[in-house]
Amino acid sequence: MLCFVALFVFGALSVFSAKYRPLAARAFDCAARKITLRPCQTGLDDEIRAASIAGIMRISPPAAAFANRHFEALSVIFTLIFFASMIVALQGIANFAVYGNCNGPEGGFCIYSGLQNPAFLKTPKTSEGIVAGNLSSGITVVEFGCYICPYTKEAEEGVQRLLENYASRVAFVYKPFPLAAHKNSFEAAIAASCAGEEGKYWEYRKMLFANQSWFAQEGERAFKQAARKLNLTGFDRCYDERLVENKINATLQEGKECGIYGTPTFFVNGKAFVGQRAAEEAEAEIRRLLAEGRA
Amino acid sequence: MDAAKIRQDFPALQKSKAIYFDNACTTLKPKQVIEAQRIYYEELAGCAGRSSHSIAKKTTERFEESRRKVAKFIGCLENEVVWTKNATEALNLAVRSFDYSKRRKIVTTRLEHHSLLLPIMEMRRKEGLEIGFLPLGADGALDEEKAADAIDSKTALVAIHCATNTTGLRCPVEKIAKIAHERGAAVLVDGAQAVPHFKIDFRKMGADFLAFSGHKMLGPTGIGCLIGKADALENLETFLVGGETVEQVDIERAVFLPPPKKFEAGIQNYAGAIGMAAACEYLAKIGMENVERHEQRLAERLLEAIASVPGSTLYGAKTHKGRCALASFNIKSIKPHQVALMCDSLSGIALRSGVFCAQPAMSLLGAPQGAVRASLYIYNTEEEIGIFGETLEKISKIA
Ligand SMILES: Cc1ncc(COP(=O)(O)O)c(C=O)c1O
Repeated sequence: MLCFVALFVFGALSVFSAKYRPLAARAFDCAARKITLRPCQTGLDDEIRAASIAGIMRISPPAAAFANRHFEALSVIFTLIFFASMIVALQGIANFAVYGNCNGPEGGFCIYSGLQNPAFLKTPKTSEGIVAGNLSSGITVVEFGCYICPYTKEAEEGVQRLLENYASRVAFVYKPFPLAAHKNSFEAAIAASCAGEEGKYWEYRKMLFANQSWFAQEGERAFKQAARKLNLTGFDRCYDERLVENKINATLQEGKECGIYGTPTFFVNGKAFVGQRAAEEAEAEIRRLLAEGRA
Repeated sequence: MDAAKIRQDFPALQKSKAIYFDNACTTLKPKQVIEAQRIYYEELAGCAGRSSHSIAKKTTERFEESRRKVAKFIGCLENEVVWTKNATEALNLAVRSFDYSKRRKIVTTRLEHHSLLLPIMEMRRKEGLEIGFLPLGADGALDEEKAADAIDSKTALVAIHCATNTTGLRCPVEKIAKIAHERGAAVLVDGAQAVPHFKIDFRKMGADFLAFSGHKMLGPTGIGCLIGKADALENLETFLVGGETVEQVDIERAVFLPPPKKFEAGIQNYAGAIGMAAACEYLAKIGMENVERHEQRLAERLLEAIASVPGSTLYGAKTHKGRCALASFNIKSIKPHQVALMCDSLSGIALRSGVFCAQPAMSLLGAPQGAVRASLYIYNTEEEIGIFGETLEKISKIA
């Protein structure tokens, strides 16, 4: 039984390292033959069994006795668990590739996030996006965000404070990066930009975050209703004909090129911060730069 | 004899804390043997016999001196030592080159190592020879009374172990040789497991041929001997032929050299021979009677240790008398490989498990699925047996 697991594990490892190839070959032998009498050679299964029982014995002799007496049953259970968790892990990888999170669109804790590191992100090169603050300052803050993403919403308070406190000393660029995992996120980006066409971007943005889940649920109807509250006359046409779609696609593409793997992501003069607490971290970086006299 | 002092000669024991109980497979090497080999590679490194420059002369001298040393150790004449690769080659040489033109039967036992059994079975397959077996008791002991009946007037060769690698028990080869000679049969003794552990004198043993390996007696791998009485060697057919085996060759006919050269084809394992001679000297200095006494004591402790493990089964006779410090056993229904691997993993004890290249022997002894074997030597101690016993005790509790 264990030979099959061994074959799988060593087989996979031997793709990457020649060191495991002889072990994989032995595992294959063992799995393929399944012979009971091996007069002149120890099988891999014997070795695995002896090593694991000896290992358990060092911790607890009674546990070793138990494991040895029920070895066959335990190895069947172990094998099943192994392949089941293998399937879950593969599913997670697939989700991660599609949604950027191993749990799929619902999000939640994802072990693979550990593979992602802000240090590997590339700094965006253009000032494409919604611009605010002092453009001639020496500090540029870029935010990649998604209006329907709960983390972007959580960071919004920090963004507002940042704009309030440092408007005269930093340039701020917001780059819409709608995540496919969130319903209506692309439409929300279009709606906000359409509002921006009539000079009401920040007001519309505030409404989006304030009722995020309602917008996500209702979509078009909600977007248009919000526009009417702000008396935006060209909104419906802008929204229906997707006049600003190119802009959204441009920042989305740029974000992909930078390697953005989650929103919000902030860059402060090229240094990246990702996640719920990113706005505060970005602000701390701004303070540090200002103290250094970079502005 | 002081095992603690002897241990200091063995670099492998200095480098690791392992408990080496696999001496029936091969032994560790003392620095004297390693040094002797080094001398060949660094200071001689020529070929013996054929070239006449001074390096070659020195090589020839050392090589032939090594032959003399081995001859002295085993109690034969210098030209009665044929160098071979190992005991297996020596056994093949004797069995396959023996003259079966008048008598067409080989008598042996079911306890033999494959290295002797298979050449005999090959002679049956290829030459149609008959095989006879000496009667054995269930514990593997030879029934001396009935042995006489098994050796008849058709028997050309009696091929038998001196000590087995499965039980470590010695067989009364002197008596068998006497009976065989009375019936006009020659005697080949597999001494692989006896020469390293007992005081053996080829002349006293009375056999015609004796085979053994260097590596099981502190010597290098790749060297062994076939000792043969001068006339017995004379009567053997050629085996491997080639460079150095001939007096002269024209295309019609080759005239072979007298033994032992007749059997030593091609460049020889000079370093191995020099190393093996050093091993013989090393053992002679300790004294083989001291080796025997030390092993008797270890054998007694070893059997006690195994017997005290609940559910242990010892294979072969239960006596430590006439036995080298070797024992094969099983513990309850735990697979022998598992016991051996766990001993290694828990206490760093090197054991052998399986059927020890003697499958019919293990079946006869009642362990067709194999067993665990502990085989000790001059550097092993009673303290090590203590750890071994404790480890087995622990392992016995898992089943
Ligand atoms: C009794 C016996 N005969 C023959 C041999 C073969 O020795 P070698 O492998 O050195 O040729 C062995 C070694 O395992 C042995 O124990």
